[in-house]
Amino acid sequence: MPLIQLTDVEKIYPLGNQQVVALSEFSLSIDKGEFTVLAGPSGSGKTTVLNLIGGIDQPTRGRIEIEGRDVGRRSTRALADFRLRHIGFIFQSYNLIPVLTAAENAEFTLMLQGMTKPARRARIRDLFADLGIGGLENRKPRDLSGGQQQRVAVARAMASHPAVILADEPTANLDSQTAEGLLDLMHRLNRQHHTTFIFSSHDPLVISRARRIVRLRDGRLEDDRVQQP
Amino acid sequence: MDILTLAWKNLWRNRRRSFITLTALSLSLMLMQGFHNLAVGSYARMIDSGVRAGSGHIALYRGDYNRSRDEALTYAAADLPKQLSAVTEVEHVLPRVYLPGLAQSSRESRGILLTGIAPADEAAVNPFLRQLEAGSLLNSSEGRGALLGSRLASELKLSVGNKLVITVQNRRGDLISELFRIRGIVHTGLRDVDGSLVMVGLKKAASMGGFPGEIHELALILNRAANVSEVMPKLTALMRHSAVHAVAWDVAMPNLSNSIKLDYASQKVIFAIMLLIVTIGIVNTMLMSVMERVREFGIILAVGASPGRLFQMILAEGLVMGILSVVTGSLLGSLLTWYLVDHGIDLRRIMPQSIEFGGVIFDPVLRAIWDLPWMAKISLYLLGLALAATIYPAIKAARLAPAEAMRHV
Ligand SMILES: Nc1ncnc2c1ncn2[C@@H]1O[C@H](COP(=O)(O)OP(=O)(O)O)[C@@H](O)[C@H]1O
Ligand SMILES: [Mg+2]
Repeated sequence: MPLIQLTDVEKIYPLGNQQVVALSEFSLSIDKGEFTVLAGPSGSGKTTVLNLIGGIDQPTRGRIEIEGRDVGRRSTRALADFRLRHIGFIFQSYNLIPVLTAAENAEFTLMLQGMTKPARRARIRDLFADLGIGGLENRKPRDLSGGQQQRVAVARAMASHPAVILADEPTANLDSQTAEGLLDLMHRLNRQHHTTFIFSSHDPLVISRARRIVRLRDGRLEDDRVQQP
Repeated sequence: MDILTLAWKNLWRNRRRSFITLTALSLSLMLMQGFHNLAVGSYARMIDSGVRAGSGHIALYRGDYNRSRDEALTYAAADLPKQLSAVTEVEHVLPRVYLPGLAQSSRESRGILLTGIAPADEAAVNPFLRQLEAGSLLNSSEGRGALLGSRLASELKLSVGNKLVITVQNRRGDLISELFRIRGIVHTGLRDVDGSLVMVGLKKAASMGGFPGEIHELALILNRAANVSEVMPKLTALMRHSAVHAVAWDVAMPNLSNSIKLDYASQKVIFAIMLLIVTIGIVNTMLMSVMERVREFGIILAVGASPGRLFQMILAEGLVMGILSVVTGSLLGSLLTWYLVDHGIDLRRIMPQSIEFGGVIFDPVLRAIWDLPWMAKISLYLLGLALAATIYPAIKAARLAPAEAMRHV
């Protein structure tokens, strides 16, 4: 059984009197431990796919299953809890809560899970060192570089040991060298923890680093292939 | 605890805006506490001087004398004053007789209210007798000495030492006239009283009325700590078998009690308006702060916070703001009260004449007293309002759809 299964998914957004078809006849299955990129130009539906998998948006038609369970047919609360325990999110930028320090941001989901502060800190300490941001725990997001901020976002996504990490154009606002570093990191985490990574990008350099490339165009699957490293 | 820490941090995100809201909240709490305490202090003094000059904290009447003022409703004082003095809370017992009549000088005549009093007891209590305009107090209950209201004296063109004739109707309907000599002039500041007051000895007045040994009223002055509503049942029990019954000051002097009620009601309206304005301020602050953070709430929801959790987070911001303003507001309110207790507000600078309120002349220096239970109550009220005012913004945030919120810039 695949970890994630999308079957004939369609997503239509109402826009005034019109309807925007963001995704149509879209099917995709992803196994545990994959390292997949959703590639495609802006507006092709990458964010929509990630949001549907992560359960922060509902499909207009079709089924989305994670570990065999239908994501669409859950209450708002159950979905929130599902995200909290099984999904890690990384966004393009301004990912972090500005009033919290780097460590507090990374601990945020653990706090939501009700973990005590010392336990949270202990879990975060090794993670920060591992991600190369050790020593920055008490910095506020505005005192961190873009790359450091994204590493804190990765730490937050990793902190609760989720099965899947969804990253929506995580490197879009980073220079290529920093982007490389972040990708190296994600690769390593994928190998070490068997965490499934699905990220989106329209940057060829970034796309070339993925093992599996799912190409989208105008809300449809254009191409799906595994490339040899 | 984490949620409160987060709320605290978020509160200081827009320092100026939060500071302004906190200041508005604290200042309004300060003003409400200070002015409530001042009002309560003033009312306490008004009641005190009102009951001392009037019919006491509690008055004892026969039948419906309180309303009808029927002179026939006298009763024998006998050992009632002694029994009443034995009640721990009762400080003074003042027997009185009231008779409408006519005062004549050699040139003028006026309608008056002849008031028979026990000179020594009355002098110890009645604030108007503390400082006579002229002359001296009565020295006997049977003598021919009289105290006149200042306006009456001047209308009759009389002064201390002069004589006048007082005529009243006695119990059998005969007109009785007696000659009195003015010992002193009383100035109360109350126009009606100054124009009609004639005080004479109790025994003299009763014998003129044809009911020696009987009285119309026993005015009881309680000690400071006593509570009228606690003493009333004791007296009612004491008077069980008698035609005489006890009437509390607010019933006996409806003018004073109604004036106080009216004054406090208008103050309450002002408080309510203040609270309304403050509530609008909190709603505005919280709504602005929520609207600015739509994207952030999208992220918070996306990483797994339930809408209920987000609702709590924002409510916590209202709570923190409420607690903070209640603490600073109560501190400021206590400082203000402390000043108003110690120094008070001197109305003589604004109003040179004596001040009448509900038929009572009161001290022109208003002083507050500490009403701690009320201060706590209004603080909790404000805290509740701060929370209530945050509910709508919190609901707005909790209803956000995470995917859409995140597209928000
Ligand atoms: N909330 C929305 N309302 C209307 N149209 C939307 C909304 N979200 C996305 N779209 C549209 O859906 C399409 C796919 O968007 P998106 O998934 O964000 O693409 P990508 O992430 O690849 O840039 C675009 O045409 C976009 O304009
Ligand atoms: Mg996108």
